[in-house]
Amino acid sequence: MTTGDATKTLSGALLEGLRHSSWQSRLAVAVVALMLALLLVQAVQDPGQFTSQLLIGLTNGAIIALIALGYTLVYGIIELINFAHGDNFMIGSFVGLTVLSGTLFGLGLFAPISGDSGTIIKVAGVLIALVVAMAACGLLNVGIERIAYKPLRNSPRLAVLITAIGMSFILQNVGLVWKGPAQVPFPDLISSANILPGDAIVFRWKDLFVLAVTIPLLVGLSYFIKNTKQGKAMRAVAQDKEAAAMVGINVNRTISVTFLLGGILAGASGVMYGLFNGITVFNVGFTQGLYAFTAAVLGGIGNLSGAVVGGLLIGIIGSMADQYVGVRWTSIVIFAVLVLVLVFRPTGLLGDRSATQGGGSGRA
Amino acid sequence: MPEPNGGARAANGAGVTNILEARGITKTFGGLVAVNSVDFDIPERAIVSLIGPNGAGKTTFFNMVSGLYIPTSGRFVLTGRDITRMKPHERAQMGLGRTFQNIRLFGTMSAVDNVLAGMHVRLKGSILGSILGTPGVSREEKEARERAHALLGFVGLRGRQTFAKNLPYGDQRRLEIARALASDPKLLLLDEPTAGMNPQETARLTELIGRLREERGLSVLLIEHEMRVVMSISDRVTVLDHGEKISEGTPTEVRQDERVIEAYLGTARTG
Amino acid sequence: MRGVALKRFALPAVLITLAFLFPLLDDGLGLGLMFPIIVIAVYVMLALGLNIVIGFAGLLDLGFVAFYALGAYVMGWLASSHFNQVSFSFLSTAQSLSGGARPGIHISFWIVLLVAGAFTALCGVLIGAPTLRLRGDYLAIVTLGFGEIIPRFFQNGDNLGGFNLTNGTVGIKSIDSPGIPFLPESLSSWQRFGTLDLNPWYYTILVLVLITIFVNIRLRDSRLGRAWVSVREDETAAAAMGINPVTTKLWAYALGAVFGGIAGAFYGAFIKSIFPTSFSFNISILILCMVILGGMGNIYGVILGAIALQGINFYLLPQINGWVHAIGDALGSPLLSGADIPKYNFFIFGIILVLMMLLRPEGIIPNRQRQEELHDDSTGGDALGGTARA
Repeated sequence: MTTGDATKTLSGALLEGLRHSSWQSRLAVAVVALMLALLLVQAVQDPGQFTSQLLIGLTNGAIIALIALGYTLVYGIIELINFAHGDNFMIGSFVGLTVLSGTLFGLGLFAPISGDSGTIIKVAGVLIALVVAMAACGLLNVGIERIAYKPLRNSPRLAVLITAIGMSFILQNVGLVWKGPAQVPFPDLISSANILPGDAIVFRWKDLFVLAVTIPLLVGLSYFIKNTKQGKAMRAVAQDKEAAAMVGINVNRTISVTFLLGGILAGASGVMYGLFNGITVFNVGFTQGLYAFTAAVLGGIGNLSGAVVGGLLIGIIGSMADQYVGVRWTSIVIFAVLVLVLVFRPTGLLGDRSATQGGGSGRA
Repeated sequence: MPEPNGGARAANGAGVTNILEARGITKTFGGLVAVNSVDFDIPERAIVSLIGPNGAGKTTFFNMVSGLYIPTSGRFVLTGRDITRMKPHERAQMGLGRTFQNIRLFGTMSAVDNVLAGMHVRLKGSILGSILGTPGVSREEKEARERAHALLGFVGLRGRQTFAKNLPYGDQRRLEIARALASDPKLLLLDEPTAGMNPQETARLTELIGRLREERGLSVLLIEHEMRVVMSISDRVTVLDHGEKISEGTPTEVRQDERVIEAYLGTARTG
Repeated sequence: MRGVALKRFALPAVLITLAFLFPLLDDGLGLGLMFPIIVIAVYVMLALGLNIVIGFAGLLDLGFVAFYALGAYVMGWLASSHFNQVSFSFLSTAQSLSGGARPGIHISFWIVLLVAGAFTALCGVLIGAPTLRLRGDYLAIVTLGFGEIIPRFFQNGDNLGGFNLTNGTVGIKSIDSPGIPFLPESLSSWQRFGTLDLNPWYYTILVLVLITIFVNIRLRDSRLGRAWVSVREDETAAAAMGINPVTTKLWAYALGAVFGGIAGAFYGAFIKSIFPTSFSFNISILILCMVILGGMGNIYGVILGAIALQGINFYLLPQINGWVHAIGDALGSPLLSGADIPKYNFFIFGIILVLMMLLRPEGIIPNRQRQEELHDDSTGGDALGGTARA
């Protein structure tokens, strides 16, 4: 076959695809194209603002991506939407805040770390807060799985989902008792000053901090899943639980490890969220959790790189909506993305598992 | 052999109308050809069996008839109407009934309710009518219950008030057939109806399949591993191997066909 | 046979009679429970509406509050002075103080109830049609998405290209009271429902609840009810019987929405002012909790669940709060004496959800079918209660 023929078949296939696509998907593509065009207009009009907004979106997206990974890891392995995951993230931010304030169980261990502390203390404090929150959330997630989900492994899928919703409310109220109903401020440890010269494009130390924490975590996760024995076991269990058990993989332990990983990432994300935004609140996990779930679905749930891509996209969509639609519409925009993705492309952008029933009809 | 280019409601040699006609049915999964250009007819009031070694494409073909898969190419015509792209429930409304290889009853409904659920498309009671309990709906419900009991009697079950899933295995098979009959099918697809049955139960079920035609004038498409069943009640037998139709004819003809013997001997399974 | 007849007719008859006599009891004993009882009744209606979706059709709807909110806003739009650009009145008993034409749309409460039901049913169909082919857990999240979008939209709807649709966070105020014109002067509290005499409100919601129960029972035993069970149990087999899974589910969705909408419309008129924040995700979960606690699919169980949970909200938690404060005062602990226990009600509801699913997924008064389904130990199914087969 010559290249010419190949091009011909490709264009033919595209045409064919267009002809077979439903009016809904054509409409969806048109809407997305229109949105992109409008954004492009904004980008040309004020490139500095657009770029700054894009960078903020990326940072927010990194925080969301870490949570989204927790959803996607768990869904990939036991097909459960772990509704309590967002609240685990909230607990992570609370743990981080508690460490930074130097109190633990009412004991003043050391003086609270604040913006006035020395640089070394700040760095050490942030690192310790991250590690403690990651450990706490990882163990919490494992505990939740053991107590609430494991006994229901053979129950209808929705029964486990309801349990997860129940756990979400329990965690939220733990947060409510812990820090009260109002927003709690985080110490301002990381400078909001612009790194870049001039003020046309804003990229702050805070943004750098988030990326500096997120990227090593992602690399580590990727290494763990690809190269370690436990990571391979996770992939095997995700493929086929029974077959994995037959070749001697400890399925229960593998599921626990998955929850541990998800929790660790949520813990890191929680601390970063607090430091980045300067506040946290007992119900922050609900909205952030839904954003992250949207990200996981957008990328294709069960697909790890999808969760990262989806997280970054949701972050960017959110920051663009903040700027060009209005902050109060942002959550509506993101929930609309959630609904639209599930309706039009339930397998997500990178695709993995079919969300519709019946193998045959799921094929697009 | 049927004419390959038969019309929508073509008559075969004996002047009998066909209930179902399949023309050039092909199904590929990725690069794998599961069923390759199969022509297939089911005449009125006939029992037609589809056999073949494991992996021959029987189940794929069956799933295309019932609408779970859409063929890659080719078309199905049921009583003169093209059903190739219809959804399973639309085919059922057109007069296609089926049972499942691994019995799929509504486990927590009683036997009668299972049959009533099967009757769904033949009942007209509107939602408002059901809520208000209009005389029409009450009468229809009463008649439906009577018909359901009659159908259970026909397959040899009495309407017991236990959950369907607690019935003995053989009774579950019969109930599934009664449920399929409740939708007044013209063509009944039976997917390995004697699987897991002892010889006695198999004999009784074979007799029941015969009665479907004799007493209710149905056509039956049968997928079956049990060769004694196939050979004793089929009017015609079609043999698939590697997705291709390798033989077709009366049970005697098929039994003597060299290619059939080869296909069956070539695999571990001899039925 | 006698025992069956007794159980079938006598018990409901006694309960209904008691319900009708309750205002006398409340008045005679000076209980002052009319207000909470009316709110509980609204929730009974909501729970019964959700029961159609979850209990009968096995679809997990996490955004049921959307229909409740839509119903309330329909009442707000069609029976208040909100749209003061126009002045339109139709069979409304609401009158202006000056006697002149009142600004806003004022349509008879009874008509608006029906309009709200029809409108929410339409919304249910619009939301359901594209989403109901999704698998159960994804559907749950989509409904949650809608449940979040709609109140947030109401919150932001005070300036839609300059048009004030919802009055934002302030909400719609002074919604008209219902009333029955043409009644003699001696029944003045029925001519126009007031805030002092709650009896007309009570009897209105009681009748609405009874209608809801009746419709629930009739639907459960109907042709559609069987279709719901069959789709819930095995969608493929149901389709092979000619049952269209999507329309069957859509009906559950739309009919559930009708009751959610009517309950919302009643609530809007009763409470007089509606805000977007009264329709949060928590309400969806509260209603879900009622259905699950009582027993999915069991009408009496769901009613009991609604009464029990609102009882906890209205009675038990304030009671416990009092005890905790007393203990705090006795111990001199400001932490305890200042605690606000009712604030943590969702902690209790969360625990109820988890414990019910772990220990008794079929609820307090189980529906026999659902009990069997939920204890079937075959591999995880999709619909709530259904069992998936390979």
